[in-house]
Amino acid sequence: MIKLTRVFKTFDGGQSYAVKDLSLNVDRGETLVLLGSSGCGKTTTLKMVNRLIEPTKGIIEVSGKNVLDYNAVSLRRQIGYVFQGIGLFPHMTIEQNVEIVPRLLGWSTRSRQERIEELLDLVGLPAGSFAERFPDELSGGQQQRVGVARALAANPAYLLMDEPFGALDALTREALQQELLSLKNQLKKTIVFVTHDLHEAMLLGDRIAILHDGGLEQIGTKEDILNTPATQFVKDLFSIRRSGTWK
Amino acid sequence: MSIDALIAYVLQRLPELWLRTGEHLMLTGCSTLAAMFIGIPVGIFIYRTKWLRGPVMGVIGILQTIPSLAMLVFLLALLKEIGVIPALIALTLYALLPIARNTLTGLEEVSAEVMEAAEGIGMQEYQQLMMVRIPLAAPVIAAGIRTAAVVGVGIATLSAFIGAGGLGQFINRGLALANTKLILLGAIPAALLALMVDFSIGAFEWALRSERKKDKKRSAKSFMRRPALMLPVALVLVGIVTNFTKPGWISGPQASLENGHEIVRIGSKNFTEQLILGEMMARLIEAKTDLIVQRRFNLGGTMICHGALVNGEIDLYAEYTGTALTAILKHAVMTDPEKALRYVTKTYHQRFDLQWLKPFGFNNTYAITVRKADALQNRWSKISDLEKSADVLIAGFTAEFSERPDGYPGLRRIYHLHFGDVLDFDPSLMYEAIRNKKVDVICAFATDGRIAAYHLKPLKDDRKFFPPYYAAPVIREEILKVHPELGDVLSLLGGRIDDAEMQHLNFEVDGKKRSIAEVVEEFLKAKKLL
Repeated sequence: MIKLTRVFKTFDGGQSYAVKDLSLNVDRGETLVLLGSSGCGKTTTLKMVNRLIEPTKGIIEVSGKNVLDYNAVSLRRQIGYVFQGIGLFPHMTIEQNVEIVPRLLGWSTRSRQERIEELLDLVGLPAGSFAERFPDELSGGQQQRVGVARALAANPAYLLMDEPFGALDALTREALQQELLSLKNQLKKTIVFVTHDLHEAMLLGDRIAILHDGGLEQIGTKEDILNTPATQFVKDLFSIRRSGTWK
Repeated sequence: MSIDALIAYVLQRLPELWLRTGEHLMLTGCSTLAAMFIGIPVGIFIYRTKWLRGPVMGVIGILQTIPSLAMLVFLLALLKEIGVIPALIALTLYALLPIARNTLTGLEEVSAEVMEAAEGIGMQEYQQLMMVRIPLAAPVIAAGIRTAAVVGVGIATLSAFIGAGGLGQFINRGLALANTKLILLGAIPAALLALMVDFSIGAFEWALRSERKKDKKRSAKSFMRRPALMLPVALVLVGIVTNFTKPGWISGPQASLENGHEIVRIGSKNFTEQLILGEMMARLIEAKTDLIVQRRFNLGGTMICHGALVNGEIDLYAEYTGTALTAILKHAVMTDPEKALRYVTKTYHQRFDLQWLKPFGFNNTYAITVRKADALQNRWSKISDLEKSADVLIAGFTAEFSERPDGYPGLRRIYHLHFGDVLDFDPSLMYEAIRNKKVDVICAFATDGRIAAYHLKPLKDDRKFFPPYYAAPVIREEILKVHPELGDVLSLLGGRIDDAEMQHLNFEVDGKKRSIAEVVEEFLKAKKLL
C-alpha cells in the first residue's frame, strides 16, 4: 500500500509548488492512474514515492513505513520503475538489462537466468532470439517491453510507471496497453501509472486521480468521475474527451 | 641516390633503427600508460568534485602550453639528470590533458535519462559510476588516450635532445650534420609509428566495444578480437624489451652496458666538430684501453653538457676555454689564451672536481662571417666595418650566441653593432641560412668547413673582442683517479689538430657528407694513433 498524506513539494524555496497538499491512497493490488497535463505534478509525485525526489513537507508511506525511514537504495530495489524515456542501459544486452536489479540484490547466476527467460517470455520477447541483443537493435515498443521486464525482475510488490508508452506510435501503444492490462490481472501488483492520455487512464486505471496545478481535483473510479465530476476542471476535462488527449 | 643505395643505407642502419624504434615505443607507451593511470582518476575525481574542475584543468592546460624543449630543459635542471626519466615525465605531463579532459567530457555527456534510470532502479552512487557512467564514457576516454599516444610519438622525437634516445636521435644527428638522409631515417619511421600507434589503439577500442559481444562465434570479427586487444600491449612490450635487452648484435653507438666491464661515457654538444671530437676520443679510448665507451652525443648546448658532467651523467666531453670562462664561470673575457687555460683549469678543479686535459691545438673562436661577395662589394674586412650598415643587415645567430656575454651582447657593446633583425638558428641551419641569403651575418665557428665551402668570409676581430676558444677534453677527476690511463690516452691528441686540420675534418663531414666514424678513423690512422 502506498499512502500520501498532505504532501508538498517546491523546487524554488516556496514561491511555487509542484505538488500542493496532496493526499491519496493506493490500495494493494490496485492500479492508480495519475492523470494531468504536463507540469501538473504527476511525475514529481511518482518520483517522490521512490525518493528520486524528496518531499518538502508531508508524509509518504510505502507498506506502512515512511519512505524517509527506508534506505533510499534498498527502497528503490523494492519498487519497479518504468521510465518515460525507457532508460535501458545501451552498453548492456537485453538480458543484462533485465537482470540488473537481481544482480544488485545478489541473486545467483542460475536464478537470474531462470528469471530472465520467464520475464522475456512474459513480455513476448523470447529469450532465445532477444537475450543477447542490444537495446539499439530493438524497436521502441520492444525496448519498452524490456523496460517493463526490468522493472518486474526482482518481483517487486510495487510498480511505478512514468508515461511508459508516451513516446510510442499509436498502434504500438495500443498493443502495449492491452498487454499491460492482462499482465496486471495476472501479476496483482500495486501500480501507480502516470499519463496525460485520458483514454489510457480510462483503460488502465482501477481508480484515477486527476491532478491540476499540483493539487488533487478528484480521485475515484472512472464511473465516479464521469457521473459525478467534483470540480469544474473535471467537468471541462470530459467535455473535451472526444479529442482524447490534451497537453 | 638510387633505390639500391637507399636500401643498402637503410639495411646498414637497420639494427640501430630497430633499437631507436624500440626506445621510441617505450617512451611513448610508458608515458601514455602513466598518463592513463593519473589522468583517468583525475578526470573522474574532478567530475565528482565540481569546484576543482576549473583549477585542475587550468593547471593541466598550462602544462600543455609549455614548449616541449623548454619543458625538457626545465626538467633537466630540476632532476639534475639526463636521459629517459625526464623525457618520460615530460611526455606524461603532455599526455595528461587529452586523457583527463576526455574522461571529464565523456562522463559529463552520458545522458541524464540513463543516469536517472540507474539511480531509479536502486544503484548505489559508486555502482552508477562503475556500471553505467564509466562504461558509457569509455569510447570518449579511449579517443583521448589515442590522441595522447599519437601526439606522444611526435613529442618523443624531441627527447633525443636530452639523451633519452628514440628516433629523434637520427633527426638530431641529421640536423647537426645537415644530413637529410639521417633526418628522414628518423622522421619517416616516426610518422609510420604514429600511424601504427593510432591504428593499434583504434583496434583495441574496437575490440572493447560492447557490440563485439554480438559477433557470431568463429566469425572473422570474433577471431580478430583477441589480436586487436593485444596490439597496443605488444607494441609497448616490444619497446620495453628492446630497451632492456639492447641485443648485442646492435652495432655502433650505445651498444654498451656489458656486465663486468667498466664504462666511460662521453658526451658532446650538438654540432659537427663536437661530434667529431667526441668520436675521436671514443675511438681512441676503445683502441687503447679495455674500457667500454658509451657515446652520449648530441646533448644540446653547453649548459646541458656541463650539467651532465657535473652530475656524473657523463664522464668527459670536449669544452672550449672561452666558453668555460664566460658561459660557465661567468668570468670576464680574457684575451691571453695561456692565462685563460690556466684560470679555467684551476677553477674547474676547485669548484667542480673536473680536470682540463691538454688542448687539441685549434682555436675555434667565433667569427663574425658574411658572404664573400658582399664583403668584396662593401669592402668589409674587419668587424668594425659593419657598424654603419648593421641596421639594414639581418643576423642569424645560434640561440646561445644571442645570450652569451661573449656573444651578441658583448658585440653590441664593443663594436656598437645593432643589427636590423636577429634570428635564432640551430648551428647547422645557420650556415644554410646565410648561403640562401636568408640572413647576411652569422656567428660562424672559425674551424667550420662550410666557411670555405659556402664562399663565406670571416671578418677580422680588430678590437680583440672574442676570447680564445681552445678545445680540450674535460674529464671528471673521479674517473681519472680510477683510470689514469684515460689521461694518457687523451693527451695523445694534445696539440695534434690545428685550425686548418679541424676545418678539413669538419668539411669532410658537413660538406662531403661522409660518416663521422670514417673520417675519424682516417685521421687517427694518418696521425699514426691507431
